[in-house]
Amino acid sequence: MRILIATAQVPFIRGGADAHAEGLKEALIASGHQAEIVAVPFKWYPPECILDHMLACRLLDLTEVAGTPIDLLIGLKFPAYLISHPRKVLWILHQHRTAYELWDHPLGDLIERANGLQVRDAIRETDRQLIPQARAVYANSRTVADRLKRYCDIDSTPLYHPPPHAEQFYCAPAEEYLLFPSRLTHPKRQSLVLEALARTKQPVRVRFSGNSDRQSYGDELKSLARKLRVHNRVEWLGQVSEENKRDLYARALAVVYPPFDEDYGYVTLEAMLASKAVITCTDSGGPLEFVRHEQTGLISEPVDESLASALDRVWIEREQAKEWGKAGHALYDKMKITWPDVVRKLLS
Amino acid sequence: MRILIATTHVPFIRGGAELLAEDLRDELRAAGHTAEIVAIPFKWYPPEKILDHMLACRLLDLSEVAGTPVDLLIGLKFPAYLIRHPNKVTWILHQFRTAYELWDHPLGDLISSPNGVVVRDAIRHADKQIIPESKAVFCLSENVGKRLMNYCGIESTPLYPPPPHAEKFYSAQADDYLFFPSRLSNLKRQSLVLQALAKTRQPVCVRFAGTAEEPSYARRLQATARKLGLRHRVKWLDHVTEEDKRDLYAHAVAVVYPPLDEDYGYVTLEAMLAAKPVITCTDSGGTLEFVVDGETGLVTESTPESLALAMDNIWEKRDQAKAWGEAGRARFHQMGIAWAGIIRRLLGQTV
Repeated sequence: MRILIATAQVPFIRGGADAHAEGLKEALIASGHQAEIVAVPFKWYPPECILDHMLACRLLDLTEVAGTPIDLLIGLKFPAYLISHPRKVLWILHQHRTAYELWDHPLGDLIERANGLQVRDAIRETDRQLIPQARAVYANSRTVADRLKRYCDIDSTPLYHPPPHAEQFYCAPAEEYLLFPSRLTHPKRQSLVLEALARTKQPVRVRFSGNSDRQSYGDELKSLARKLRVHNRVEWLGQVSEENKRDLYARALAVVYPPFDEDYGYVTLEAMLASKAVITCTDSGGPLEFVRHEQTGLISEPVDESLASALDRVWIEREQAKEWGKAGHALYDKMKITWPDVVRKLLS
Repeated sequence: MRILIATTHVPFIRGGAELLAEDLRDELRAAGHTAEIVAIPFKWYPPEKILDHMLACRLLDLSEVAGTPVDLLIGLKFPAYLIRHPNKVTWILHQFRTAYELWDHPLGDLISSPNGVVVRDAIRHADKQIIPESKAVFCLSENVGKRLMNYCGIESTPLYPPPPHAEKFYSAQADDYLFFPSRLSNLKRQSLVLQALAKTRQPVCVRFAGTAEEPSYARRLQATARKLGLRHRVKWLDHVTEEDKRDLYAHAVAVVYPPLDEDYGYVTLEAMLAAKPVITCTDSGGTLEFVVDGETGLVTESTPESLALAMDNIWEKRDQAKAWGEAGRARFHQMGIAWAGIIRRLLGQTV
């Protein structure tokens, strides 16, 4: 089959969604299909810009190329998943979140604008009308599926996929640090971890790897660490190579990953593949679909004292952490998260 | 600088334009800039779809990303070069040809649609209004620049890119074939070469490397070859790796490349880098900016008879062919075709 994967492009910023689209493309090609990614640039501010980009997507025609049909369109991200096609399947990574669960959240930007409400409603109305035009609707996770149901009353099936290079993760004897690998941005909540570190009883150390989307945010975090006097217990590794990243996972005592309402969370799966316990929070979203409290890691309240207790616990109970890590790996295997399975479902 | 390259995406079809955009991106990065390609899908039929895709491009906002400005937009192909940006440079690879010089040509498809005139005029109007929004307008070749001036009254400066992996081409002892690497299409005129081969006196052999956009076209070409009795003189190599392609260049007697009104023609430059003479035609467009008749190859009328004579000439006089090929390589270097200069020109006009 000739298959196109439609996704949104945010130039210069590479995140999980890009790896997701590429992984899907590779998996389709490995299954014998022709597959290509169509990435449409997306700027979401000021709010009216969103409407322009939605319209742009509706104007694009991906039904055929030079006389030969495109057999299937797989839509991943808003607004690219609005592109019309007679045989479309959606695998929604997430909707435009500030029009939904982040509308009146501190991280919501639409609500502050004079036309924010109108644009929000246009997005919701469009999603409600156009998403069901797909032959099948899948979601990145139960977290994303629940939002789609709650706000748009649309049913969808969670479909999990492996993180990039899943087979290359490995475990090694633990050293004296917890790992938090993620882009440095508000929703990932590196700041919460810093606040928790200020309340730990043990000399817990954390290594943060990842770049900030904006230089200023990285500086803010470093300032915060100094203000909280935890700066000599943290390391800011910046962007690391994939190889280095896997090495950091391998030698970590555990992985701390407490994002706010994450859609999916490659980090959780990578930790499981590296047989490392995961510390996450009750409002972390996607990770909660994989972490089992006191079996494969710890789930704490998103509050500095609670998270601090969890960090302390893992820091002292090393053997326990190791067992939890192993259990995490076993759970990953049991869940049968594979690309062939994904391809089978999307194409069925 | 943060630079975006705006081009057009035709899924599953990869040609010179895709390679050029990638080379440009890689060279900008090598020069220390942050560069990314933005490729907008484009379907051009039925004609009203062209208008839809033009509008889609005008609706996109590439002025900044997550609060940080995009410093420069380089537009390469229609309709992606219509995307707005306060600091834009256009390096036109070619305009939408069936609205211009291919309008009433046998290969023009717009003219046969009821709304073809309306759409053609909308395209011309958009180009005339929007291309001058750029801080600077460049073109891929004098041929492209001439069309832009004739139809739109817009001045532009030719900027010649090296072909991809220019440094990897090499020359070797010639075997017994002429080489014609290109997508199989009407415009490239493999069919003309077949007609010419039927009229040669020498047992000229040609190897064609490339695939057709529509599989039926390839089959029709092969049927024509068989009908003309050329089965043992032509080889259809289909898709070849870059490495094999360079080897085929290296061992060719010459390159035969007679497209119709080519915008530029990487093939010509690749032949020069491999020190091989080029046989091309008087109406081949961009190739004529590089091939010197009687010095680096032959330029003939685009008739089977004339092309046959040229192929015979090259086939017989091997020493001459070799000398012309070497002259072609010297000419390439003398013309100073290099990325450093291109990037300087593209970035030179910015604020």
